[in-house]
Amino acid sequence: MMTLFSDNFIIESLVKFVETSGFMAFFEGEGWKCIVMIALACFLLYLAIKKQFEPLLLLPIAFGMLLTNLPGAEMFHSELFAGGHVHWDIFVDKAGLIDYLYLGVKLGIYPCLIFVGVGAMTDFGPLIANPKSFLLGAAAQLGIFATFLGAYALGFAPNECGSIGIIGGADGPTSIFLTARLAPELLGPIAIAAYSYMALVPVIQPPIMKALTTKSERLIKMSQLRQVSKTEKILFPVIISIVISLLLPSAAPLVGCLMLGNLMKECGVVDRLSKTVQNELMNIVVIFLGISVGATATAASFLNLRTLFILALGIIAFSFGSAGGVLLAKFMNLFAKEGNKINPLIGSAGVSAVPMAARVSQTVGQKENPSNFLLMHAMGPNVAGVVGSAVAAGILLAFLG
Amino acid sequence: MDKFVNVGWPEMLLMALFGFLMVFTVLVLLIFVMKAMGWFFTREHKAKVAATATTAHPHDHAISDQELAAAIITALKLYKSALHDQESEMLTINRITRAYSPWNSKIHGLTQLPEKK
Repeated sequence: MMTLFSDNFIIESLVKFVETSGFMAFFEGEGWKCIVMIALACFLLYLAIKKQFEPLLLLPIAFGMLLTNLPGAEMFHSELFAGGHVHWDIFVDKAGLIDYLYLGVKLGIYPCLIFVGVGAMTDFGPLIANPKSFLLGAAAQLGIFATFLGAYALGFAPNECGSIGIIGGADGPTSIFLTARLAPELLGPIAIAAYSYMALVPVIQPPIMKALTTKSERLIKMSQLRQVSKTEKILFPVIISIVISLLLPSAAPLVGCLMLGNLMKECGVVDRLSKTVQNELMNIVVIFLGISVGATATAASFLNLRTLFILALGIIAFSFGSAGGVLLAKFMNLFAKEGNKINPLIGSAGVSAVPMAARVSQTVGQKENPSNFLLMHAMGPNVAGVVGSAVAAGILLAFLG
Repeated sequence: MDKFVNVGWPEMLLMALFGFLMVFTVLVLLIFVMKAMGWFFTREHKAKVAATATTAHPHDHAISDQELAAAIITALKLYKSALHDQESEMLTINRITRAYSPWNSKIHGLTQLPEKK
């Protein structure tokens, strides 16, 4: 017993303790990358808490990123998901909490559950009243396909191009849904790019909107939307689910969940369910999704030139999407009668980012004419954009999946 | 990815073009579906409006117009909120007497002199 507690033993134990601590790992090999990632996670936490950039998602994402980059903690095991599939044979032995939570992303469960909540919080009334808004929602998907080509020019593989392009849909759950299937190794950078740029919509969009429109176009007042009956609102999710799922089965999970949530809200007989998916379910899933997506942003997968390219392509995707909507609105005005003209500012709301993009249209429009109320008109293209980006995701999945 | 070995620029361009066109096609189809649904649900209302437009006095039609009614209500609200109360324009204090209360009564004050009897 005496030898057990000899001086040598204590010194050896202390050395061993220091060597196995996370601090030592910072100075071994590429440990410095973990310091950079921790600093980046702290910066994202600052943006979420102090600047309130999409805090509901950025905060759990940033904290997941912080946890996964603490050397030695081994919170997330990327080898369990290597090669794009779950390695069930070693999963039970090695997996920790975040690995289990990540299954929800990997199996496409969280984005669909979030879409149920989004559907329950969305009013499709302006879109039903003015179905032409679907065109603006479609035009704003230009960003997805332009970035798809841009990513290929920068050397990404076609499946990765699809995942990067979908950032232009400005729809976080759709980006995660598609990336988890096409290029799971890019999930961290793509989720961070998508949510960061969604928070920056009020900064990115106004200069593009102003550059592409004249003052007289920004002053256009649109006629009042017709009232939409409750029956129409109930039939809308059912019809859309049937039509889109039959046309594009790969888009059925997203569109079906979105419309299920909306039907719960509009039918008025399942208030308890509607409130649950809007609040409790949505919040729980956001926590799980945020932590597990953040955890995929390990130093090895994040700190490389490809991440910088993805961030640059993301902003191009947003810009092209906004421009596409505005330009199509201008084009539609060439054929519209006086009194039926569209204010092109609502075109930029075709990128999803509900309801932020619609609010930007309203704000820019009111700067030109304080008595011009564009919010409800912009909500049409805005919710059409959600449907449009889900359809685009389904198409890319069908092509590249 | 082995399955993308044969994919080059021509395939990527076609995929982007077809993808974008397919988004448009699906959403244009939805426009027709929604227009048909809108027509079905508004046809009775439109017929009613058309009937009242032909039979009713133009003045009645104007009042039934929701937008105009909203504008009149807003104008009245703004007009009323902008109105001031009728003021006397006298800044002088008119009434200086205070109502009697034992709390402010000089008779019951502590400084009163003792009564000489």
